[in-house]
Amino acid sequence: MASSNGNGRTPLIRAEGIWKIFGRNANKVIGTPDVDLSRAELREKTGCVAAVRDVSFDVYPGEVFVVMGLSGSGKSTLVRTLIRLIEPTAGRVEIDGRDVTAASRDQLLQMRRHTSSMVFQHFGLLAHRTVLDNVAFGLEVQGVAKSERHARAQEVLRLVGLEDAAGQFPDELSGGMQQRVGLARAFAVDPKVMLDAEPFSALDPLIRRDMQDEVIRLQHETGKTMVFITHDLPEALRLGDQIAIMRDGRVVQLGTPEELVGSPADDYVANFVRDIPRSHVLTLRWIMRDAKPGEEDGPKLDVATTVKRAVPLISDSERPVCAVDGGKIVGVVDKQAVLAAIAGEGD
Amino acid sequence: MAVAEAAQRIPHPLPAPWWRGKSGAAVLVVVAMLIAFLGWRNQGHWPAALTWNSVGPHLDRFQTWLSDNRNVPDPNLAFRAFNGLANFLDHLVAWSTRFFHWLTWAGTVVLGTLLVLRFGGRRAALGVLAAFASFAALGLWEESVETFSLMLAAVSLSLLVGVPLGVLAGRSSRFNRAVTPVLDAMQIIPAFAYLMPVVILFSVGPGAAVVTTMIYAVPPAIRITALGIRGVHPNTVEAATALGSTRWQVLTKVQLPLARRMLLLSVNQTILFALSMVVIAGLIGGQGLGDSVTNGLYTDPAMAIFAGAAIVIMAISLDRATEAMANRTDPAHRHLTADRSRQLRTYTAACAAAVGLTVVLGHVLNAGADWSRWTAQDWLRQYVQRGLDYVQNPSTFLFRDLTNPTGNFIVQHGIQPLRSFFIETPWPVTLIGLVLIAFLLSGLRPALIALVMLFVVGFVGEWTNAMDTFSQVLVATVLTVIVGFVLGVWAAENRYVSRALRPINDVLQTLPQLVYIIPFIYLMPVSGVPGIVASVLYAAPVMIRLVQRGIEGVSPETVEAATAYGATRLQVLLKVKIPLARDAIMLGVNQAIIMVLAVVVIGGLVGSGALGYEVAQGLQRNAFGLGVVASIAILALGITLDRVTQGRVRARTQA
Ligand SMILES: Nc1ncnc2c1ncn2[C@@H]1O[C@H](COP(=O)(O)OP(=O)(O)OP(=O)(O)O)[C@@H](O)[C@H]1O
Ligand SMILES: [Mg+2]
Repeated sequence: MASSNGNGRTPLIRAEGIWKIFGRNANKVIGTPDVDLSRAELREKTGCVAAVRDVSFDVYPGEVFVVMGLSGSGKSTLVRTLIRLIEPTAGRVEIDGRDVTAASRDQLLQMRRHTSSMVFQHFGLLAHRTVLDNVAFGLEVQGVAKSERHARAQEVLRLVGLEDAAGQFPDELSGGMQQRVGLARAFAVDPKVMLDAEPFSALDPLIRRDMQDEVIRLQHETGKTMVFITHDLPEALRLGDQIAIMRDGRVVQLGTPEELVGSPADDYVANFVRDIPRSHVLTLRWIMRDAKPGEEDGPKLDVATTVKRAVPLISDSERPVCAVDGGKIVGVVDKQAVLAAIAGEGD
Repeated sequence: MAVAEAAQRIPHPLPAPWWRGKSGAAVLVVVAMLIAFLGWRNQGHWPAALTWNSVGPHLDRFQTWLSDNRNVPDPNLAFRAFNGLANFLDHLVAWSTRFFHWLTWAGTVVLGTLLVLRFGGRRAALGVLAAFASFAALGLWEESVETFSLMLAAVSLSLLVGVPLGVLAGRSSRFNRAVTPVLDAMQIIPAFAYLMPVVILFSVGPGAAVVTTMIYAVPPAIRITALGIRGVHPNTVEAATALGSTRWQVLTKVQLPLARRMLLLSVNQTILFALSMVVIAGLIGGQGLGDSVTNGLYTDPAMAIFAGAAIVIMAISLDRATEAMANRTDPAHRHLTADRSRQLRTYTAACAAAVGLTVVLGHVLNAGADWSRWTAQDWLRQYVQRGLDYVQNPSTFLFRDLTNPTGNFIVQHGIQPLRSFFIETPWPVTLIGLVLIAFLLSGLRPALIALVMLFVVGFVGEWTNAMDTFSQVLVATVLTVIVGFVLGVWAAENRYVSRALRPINDVLQTLPQLVYIIPFIYLMPVSGVPGIVASVLYAAPVMIRLVQRGIEGVSPETVEAATAYGATRLQVLLKVKIPLARDAIMLGVNQAIIMVLAVVVIGGLVGSGALGYEVAQGLQRNAFGLGVVASIAILALGITLDRVTQGRVRARTQA
């Protein structure tokens, strides 16, 4: 996976203080003390629902940014505000250096056509069109000529392994295949940013795993930046470089998978990650300590190795294992550290 | 001891007996009205002081003024625009007729059949061919072409107006909320109530017929189109938007194609609604079959029956043809490969060529516009006449023992007592009694509407006639509800009954209103009875369907639970299913009463008297004022009946 922090790079997506409040007079809520009320109190008092509250984050090129949270926490609303499928009530979104929130209708269209694309939970395929024409739809609305867009659609279908289904109709495909078509449609316009709104939650667990592998592969091959929504923690941990955990419209913690598992910000997050085996997520970076003189000649392991994978070597080794990052020793890990990390599981 | 004492002190939440509740109060009101009827019979007619006698003459003057100003050599702009519209409508029908004449009869047959064959399939095409054959056989070719042209013009215009509005209503909830009450209102107005105003504005002719038909046919076009657009899943629309589609692209590339089946169904419904108006349109200058029916009713019964049959045949074959086309084009079911669509294009071209060839041949061989070679009319007339003679012969079994006694029974035990009750009871008692009953049934608002509307009826001087119409409507509604309830429950409980009823209901629901009346004019020639029987036939299918759907819609778990506690089938029906289906049943009553009113007033053409008769007089004798006054009374009655029966459902669903 790509590195998790943009040292000096400019973010591709930048969201600042996004609010979405549903209901009449939604505009009048922001700027009053009411914004600090809890969701239930706000609804009681004004009839408005605060779906997204003051959310900010940056996503750097090539990163997978995962948004997760329980049902109703505001995930879907948040991604939709990014390209204004839902108008944010307040806040600013910038994608690829352009201010989305201030864009004119036309600029917005251009941005939706060329910069972003989206994959949906229920696929949103067009029942009256073949798979090929579904995949080519984004190019069609851009005005690309038929032969050209069909050639491109064929190419993308090959990428997702559906080249033989080009002439079929969506209702002739299985759920997993339909979502591959959805992915292909998103890739066909060669967007800089892909927004995935719970793309796999309607699929059964086995297919779901396949599709996650598929996304990881595609993301590696194409280096796309993604915003990925899920309410499935293992999925988030597998895919995410950064994960934002939402609750009642707010982001309660934003960090790498390791940070979430290693030091949950509050009980809500801790509860979330409770069942995740820490050794599967934490890496040596998380548990290492500074090397003392004389420890630098122990066996070497990459600093990004998970604890689980490091266990055999560390337990066999008499001496602390050295964690290396780019050829340089950045710390050492001994048996106590590993045991402490594993012992922390399940509390 | 202590326990028994405690039990005594706890008040038992006994359900109030029925006579304490609203039903009891309603019975009390009726009893009071009966006492007033018996004690002060004929002693309180609607007073002249509360009547505005000059509405009629005012309206007559308005009509004269209108036609004077329109027909001057150089009318002002407003009138010119208006005349332009009226002329355009007249011409539209004429053009369409001329087009079919130009095709020749042979070309018309080939065009109609191949069109349906290509887009609807073999069965529907055979139906259309059979329809053409029967128009020829009945000797009503020319009239059928005229009716079809009238309908074509009305349907095209209705769709032209209805589809864009429907698309708007489908895309914007605000617009949808704004038009819905208007559409509701348009659909409760009996056609007979707007004939007069239309005639005043457009004067008698095909144009007026087109307008009347449109008023009736536009609402379903809007509704079904909106339903189709709304039915497109929001996910697909959102996906298309996310990819950068403009609103127009979303409409043309996503919503319209996916709603195609519903759009075609809206064409189907618009056609049926339009056809059901053509007979009435015959009254105000629509030529063709409607004209033959209305003219033939008394002078040439066989001809009226033939024309009625032709309308029925046209309705059924058009219904089947458009429905077949709609089903064929369902986007989710029609998956075309490139090869197949090439084949179909060739097929289309071949059909077009065949039509062209036929037209050329028709001209070369001088086929002519009208099929006039051979008809079975005379031969058929013989049989129809014999049939008519039989049913009207007082000494036959049918007449003596069946139709005549039934008709008389309805009159003597239904219409007459009710009519004299409503008319001869002093008017304030009737008015207050009816309003009180409306209040008990539905609440304050409907009761106030009833008060205002009934007062309007009296104010324009139609109290007696309206009470007469009202009693006919009551009789017909009671019959409809009984028939509909029994058959609906039976069909819900019994698969075979359901299966047997379905095709009958389908046919009855596609027939034009007036067509129902025709046979009963000859079968039961007692005043008011044809209108009542016809309205029962017209409204019962809807009642049956709603009752059946309501009962079938009761959740299986509930039924299962009741059965698990040992309820018999009858108990499940009476204690679970029927009470739970109450809203559907009340909706059925609401629909039935509106449909019954529409047909009962049409019965005014054939001896039902009352309000309908005055409209008919207005139309046939040019008594505009009188006709409009009666129309107003019909409208007021319609609104009252609708609100009072609908309010019942509303009050319950809100509780
Ligand atoms: N159009 C709307 N009008 C009013 N309230 C809405 C609307 N859309 C969403 N909400 C409310 O906003 C909150 C957040 O909804 P959202 O769909 O974003 O949650 P989510 O995290 O995606 O949940 P899920 O996992 O169930 O998809 C919910 O309380 C929801 O009821
Ligand atoms: Mg969601």
